[in-house]
Amino acid sequence: MKKLHLISLMIALVAIAIAGNARTIAADIPAPPAIGATIVDFTLPDVDGTNHSLNSLKGKNGTILIFIAVQCPVSNAYNERMEKLAQDYQARGISVVGINANSTEPAADVKAHAAEKHLTFPILKDNGNKIADALGATRTPEAYFLDANSKLVYHGRIDNSRDISQVNSTELRDALEATLAGKPVAKTTANAFGCSIKRVE
Amino acid sequence: MSLLKTRTAKAKLVRLVVAGVVVCLTFSAAAQSPTASKGRTARVNHTVKRAAAARPINAEELQGLLKRDGNHPLLVNYWATWCDPCRDEFPDLVKIDEQYRAKGLDFIAISLDDLADINTAVPKFLREMKATMPVYLLNVADPEPAINSVDREWGGALPATFLYSNKGEVVYKHFGRIKADELRAAIEKLLGSRQEQ
Repeated sequence: MKKLHLISLMIALVAIAIAGNARTIAADIPAPPAIGATIVDFTLPDVDGTNHSLNSLKGKNGTILIFIAVQCPVSNAYNERMEKLAQDYQARGISVVGINANSTEPAADVKAHAAEKHLTFPILKDNGNKIADALGATRTPEAYFLDANSKLVYHGRIDNSRDISQVNSTELRDALEATLAGKPVAKTTANAFGCSIKRVE
Repeated sequence: MSLLKTRTAKAKLVRLVVAGVVVCLTFSAAAQSPTASKGRTARVNHTVKRAAAARPINAEELQGLLKRDGNHPLLVNYWATWCDPCRDEFPDLVKIDEQYRAKGLDFIAISLDDLADINTAVPKFLREMKATMPVYLLNVADPEPAINSVDREWGGALPATFLYSNKGEVVYKHFGRIKADELRAAIEKLLGSRQEQ
């Protein structure tokens, strides 16, 4: 019996050592899907608890998913720009869907924040950050543009600066315009500094 | 070798050393002055603690800072005063800096605050934290090249922490608020393996 305990303890120690070693280099967040990958339909509740599938929210020419936050100053710097995107592209068949995956921000806070900041596009609550994991999302704001067939054609920042007066490249809008014109997207990814998504521990 | 020759050589050496010290002092004074004097009244004696001020750098200068000379491993933390988890983890980082600096760990903190905050919010926070590591503010119009040059897996989420070996390889990285024990373990492992070499 004692021997058995010792063996299981040793196995556990080896397992911990392996796990610990793997953690030293790899980040815990899954890699995002490759550009061109099809994003599988998913269902999430909105801020009132009503479930919506991606398919039910998508525009006929495409869908912009944006991970957003209540408290992140970078995400908040983009509130007006995100709302304008939704307004500008609604008539052109592209919808905007916000996703809040922060475990620290409950649906009630997300709802109050959206009302206060006049965000009229649907916002889904990604409890347990399952969709953030599936999409490899790490920060707010972080955008994913899916074409009419739910293929990922752009992933990354909205534009180059949270300070609107410093904006001189608009990668997300460029991707939308290219797709609407039936052209390939020139720049399919672009990074920017933002707030970490607060995942569940 | 005659006594006279040795003496002249010695005198030469002394002169060289003195000249070297003078040059060094001049340079360090010149390097200090822009951050210390710009837009402020003279407060020379208040800049004793290194990190009360952050120095602006561009993407190329960041790359230079990350290069290793083979002697010291390097810990780099990317943060901003507007980032709550960055503020939350900073006391741990200050402790880690104090704990491992004498053991050969270099530590730099890179602020992603706006340049407009370099003389206000940034030094205020650093003073509150009693931070003494060198702090730089990355001042770039487009963050994309800098982020990509640091790490292909990093999308720019803050905070982000990287540990480099003395050869400049990334041996540990963490996105989001650090786990202090995990980071300490990675540092210990790195410093330990360095001493064995």
